[in-house]
Amino acid sequence: MRENPRLQAVRAVRQELATLGIDPFGTQIDEIITPTEGLIHGRRTILAGTNNYLGLTFDADTIGAAREALDHAGTGTTGSRMANGSYAGHRALETELAEYYGKRDGIVFSTGYQANLGMISALAGPGDTVMIDADSHASIYDGCKLSGADTIRFRHNDAADLGKRLRRLGDKAAGTLVVVEGVYSMLGDRAPLREFVDVAKQYGAVLMVDEAHSLGVLGAKGRGVAEEAGVLDEVDYIVGTFSKSLGNTGGFCVGDSADMDVLRYASRPYVFTASLPPATIAATRQALRKLAAADDLRQRLRENAERLHAGLAKLGFRLGAAPNAVVAVLAGEKLEALRFWDHLLKQGVYVNVMVPPATPSDESLLRCSVSAAHTPAQIDAICAAFASWPGARV
Amino acid sequence: MNHQDVVAQLVDIVTPMAEGRVANITADTGLTGELAFDSLKVMDLMLAVEDHFDISVPVNALADIRTVGELATLIETVAGKHA
Repeated sequence: MRENPRLQAVRAVRQELATLGIDPFGTQIDEIITPTEGLIHGRRTILAGTNNYLGLTFDADTIGAAREALDHAGTGTTGSRMANGSYAGHRALETELAEYYGKRDGIVFSTGYQANLGMISALAGPGDTVMIDADSHASIYDGCKLSGADTIRFRHNDAADLGKRLRRLGDKAAGTLVVVEGVYSMLGDRAPLREFVDVAKQYGAVLMVDEAHSLGVLGAKGRGVAEEAGVLDEVDYIVGTFSKSLGNTGGFCVGDSADMDVLRYASRPYVFTASLPPATIAATRQALRKLAAADDLRQRLRENAERLHAGLAKLGFRLGAAPNAVVAVLAGEKLEALRFWDHLLKQGVYVNVMVPPATPSDESLLRCSVSAAHTPAQIDAICAAFASWPGARV
Repeated sequence: MNHQDVVAQLVDIVTPMAEGRVANITADTGLTGELAFDSLKVMDLMLAVEDHFDISVPVNALADIRTVGELATLIETVAGKHA
């Protein structure tokens, strides 16, 4: 059968990487040794690109909860919650998430990606407008596509630019869905949520915040940028994921709206997919209980992030944002960034490489995600690997 | 403002972004074709266009736009809705 021409561009990129002998997008971790160490190409490697922010993937209580659920409820639910039934754990997790955030109710989705798809496409439809930050994650863009609404971008983290676009909508601005992220995954920069809340209120817009990279990380109880900025009560919907600080997989939304009762039934990514398995639900509930009281982990994470940020800055690298769990090194042109990434891997450090157009500018990035489970010695080893790069600091 | 005026103003916005790839930009010049604008560049272009014309162009309306002239027509359509 002939090759599909639609895949030509992807095939060309794969061919380019094969020629270089560098494959950052197909990295295989052959063995996970600890939350921050794995075996890659037979080498013990520090994992600094896994979003395991609190290092909970090997937490004994969480593993215990998963094991018990596996023994008592089996491996999977074998169907959709709407068609085939929810388990008690699904609904319990939703209630616990709502309590954690102090919101009226919650909905659990099968992935974080589906949470954005499911919420945006249920809240907006053809003839509506959704306003999104220009640097939004693909799941937000895809949610907009699925909704069929007109999608309007505003400049990244620019509340005044959002205001300008809401003003242009005139009477239609009231009720318009605005979507931002708490922390942006590429550079690790935070949204000015206080400003966004004020603008949304001024025009009567509905504000949804994706806290995927800030849940567990920021705020006194780990409730993200909304808690840190003191606007938790003023955000209409908070979306998040279980796959980062909670160390599992899945997604959710919490909110105060009366629509929470019916939203799930209007959400195709909720209705037409299998629900999360019992072990995942049990482990996530256990990890969530730890999150609110994880001050020590958040403190360690902050210290590690500051240590890495300061170390890389001292080496002369340009960094994407103020210290946070995501520390991004600006790495210039694509080929150089790929070689830099490969050099780090050979030094025993795994980070993420991001190349345009996935990056917010025409520069590539080497993105480190810091964990509370990293030791200071591992952070220093990451800095040492960066220091050994013979190329230019761009 | 007629179509030619919109095209002329659009050419003024596109020209400094084109980095000399095309000597004479016209209504027929392809944005992603001849000018080789990637998605980031198209986004920068649209933010500049939106500011200049004081309009908001939905991302989903851009899917079929290939040339400067087609973008000018879209701008006129959106501006008409705003008016």
